[in-house]
Amino acid sequence: MKDQPLLQFIDVSKWFGRVLALNQVTWTFHRGIVGLVGANGAGKSTFLRLAAGLLRPTLGEVKIAGRDAWDWRSRRLLGYCPSTDSFFYDQSGEEFVYTMARLCGIPRRTARKQTELTLQRLGLSDLAHRPIYGYSKGMRQKIKLAQALVHQPPLLILDEPLAGIDPVGRHELIKLFHQLSQEGHSLIVSSHELQTLEQLTDHILLLSHGRVAAAGTIREIRRQLADYPVTVRITVSSPRAFARHLVEWPEVIAIEWSEPSRQASRGTLLVRIQQPNEFFQRLTQFLAHNPWNISRVEPVDDSTHELLGYILGGSGKT
Amino acid sequence: MKGMNTQLSLKYSPWQEKTSRPYTAIAAIGRISLLLICRQRLFWGLLALAMLAFFFFLYGQYLMVWINLQFAHETVRIAGFSVNISQLLRFLDRLALQGTAHTYANFIWFQGYILVILLCFSGSHLFGNDIIYNTMIFYYSKPISPWYYFCGKCLAIIFLIVMTTFIPATILWFEAGLLLDGLTYYTQNYLVLLGIAGYSALIALTLSLLTATTAMIFQRTAPMVLAWMGLFVLLRMMANWLAMTTQEGDWRLLDFWNNLYLCGLWCFGIDHATIRPIPQPHYNNAFLVVFLIITLCILYICKQTRLEIYR
Repeated sequence: MKDQPLLQFIDVSKWFGRVLALNQVTWTFHRGIVGLVGANGAGKSTFLRLAAGLLRPTLGEVKIAGRDAWDWRSRRLLGYCPSTDSFFYDQSGEEFVYTMARLCGIPRRTARKQTELTLQRLGLSDLAHRPIYGYSKGMRQKIKLAQALVHQPPLLILDEPLAGIDPVGRHELIKLFHQLSQEGHSLIVSSHELQTLEQLTDHILLLSHGRVAAAGTIREIRRQLADYPVTVRITVSSPRAFARHLVEWPEVIAIEWSEPSRQASRGTLLVRIQQPNEFFQRLTQFLAHNPWNISRVEPVDDSTHELLGYILGGSGKT
Repeated sequence: MKGMNTQLSLKYSPWQEKTSRPYTAIAAIGRISLLLICRQRLFWGLLALAMLAFFFFLYGQYLMVWINLQFAHETVRIAGFSVNISQLLRFLDRLALQGTAHTYANFIWFQGYILVILLCFSGSHLFGNDIIYNTMIFYYSKPISPWYYFCGKCLAIIFLIVMTTFIPATILWFEAGLLLDGLTYYTQNYLVLLGIAGYSALIALTLSLLTATTAMIFQRTAPMVLAWMGLFVLLRMMANWLAMTTQEGDWRLLDFWNNLYLCGLWCFGIDHATIRPIPQPHYNNAFLVVFLIITLCILYICKQTRLEIYR
């Protein structure tokens, strides 16, 4: 079992009715911290719920240390912190974490001790006896984290653990995640903010439209993306003349254009490019020296839009 | 936000200490479910009502014995007429407050009225809220089989049923022994105690499964109360009317509480001919209906154990 990867997705697809939430995902995770990034609806939560054994793949297999994740016994190895803010509000934090510890098979006395220790570590000891409905959003996040951590699982699956937390709290949690990693826990942390995850790890898994768009370190992903063909729409007053310049650029693979109609004074170029960073740098320089009447430049492909948005650190629009 | 204590160590190492068997989670879920219910004021109100019926039987039994011993042959004057005291108590005959099997069967029958409301409330609170507020995710992400989740919740419901039927009925049985022939009563009626246990166990099993099933279907209290009222009140009235009109006892099979009552009477070993009102269906038919309901509930719960958590 020691040679087995901690988490393994083998050709996993998940359909919800007619919606394909995850599409043929294959990924292996051994240890460390991995940031799961993607826009809303990219499939992050589905991915994590499949990993936590809460969902069953329509096709393919999800394995935790070699055992099917859907099998409840495999959940001994993981702690899951959901993104949903749902609780038994009448319960106190301490009672909630204690019950969760008991569900993990921890005997009564040890469960009390472990609950106390976990709450102390998360700075919740003083407030643990209060009912959860009186907790702030940050405290509720911490309680969710405490219940995932209480049985000291090797794998922690944290779905948007930093959402809705103020910067100070965020900093504290990131520090805690680092400590947990140093202590031997492995973490999969999802977020739709790459900047936040960059503070935590440089290993990311980028999901886009249910597919793994990229996996590896951020540097590797940037390099992969450099050769990723992208289609860019450029709206310009005289497209034919502008295309004559573009065609000489090495990043441009193909150009399609439409002449301006009588109603519209501008035409549109659809430019297929590779190495988008270099292309946009060259375009900026070119326009600085040669004034053209360009009203719009934007990536056409949605997935590209997301990829650029996340990796280049903007909205994706250039 | 309070600063986290980073000095404390909770270092990861594979869990070295002994873990309990996974099914101990059933008790943990049952415990927390009961605590959740006990925190609701409505629960205490309903429990108080259930206790009222119990105290009625407790003091009624005492009163019957006391009156029979003290004033059995005396008369009182009401509106100028002399009436024997024992005649005045005829209205209590329906309850059979003499420490017989019928006493306990009747007691559990009457507890049913409040039990139905109590279970509607508890079911929606225990199962419905987990679905509505998505708290199921915490249970399902732990290393327990979904069956343990259902068993834990059902355990809490069984506890409520036992608390309102078996325990008070057993107290009544002990009281009857103390009031009547003491040890002779206990030795002659130990099978009645087994009957109480059997009837209560059957109610506990059936109603916990039915509560779990209907709570998962209807989730909220109001629709669940309506559904249960339909099942236990409307169908009962209809069954009664059909049975009286056609003189066919099998129509009473529509009355689920009556079926449980018949099964309970069988546990007490009561002769079918003494059951009132007549006509009544045969014991076997009542058992068949109860078995059918239990099977349907288990099939539904089986389906739910394969549930995926989407939200």
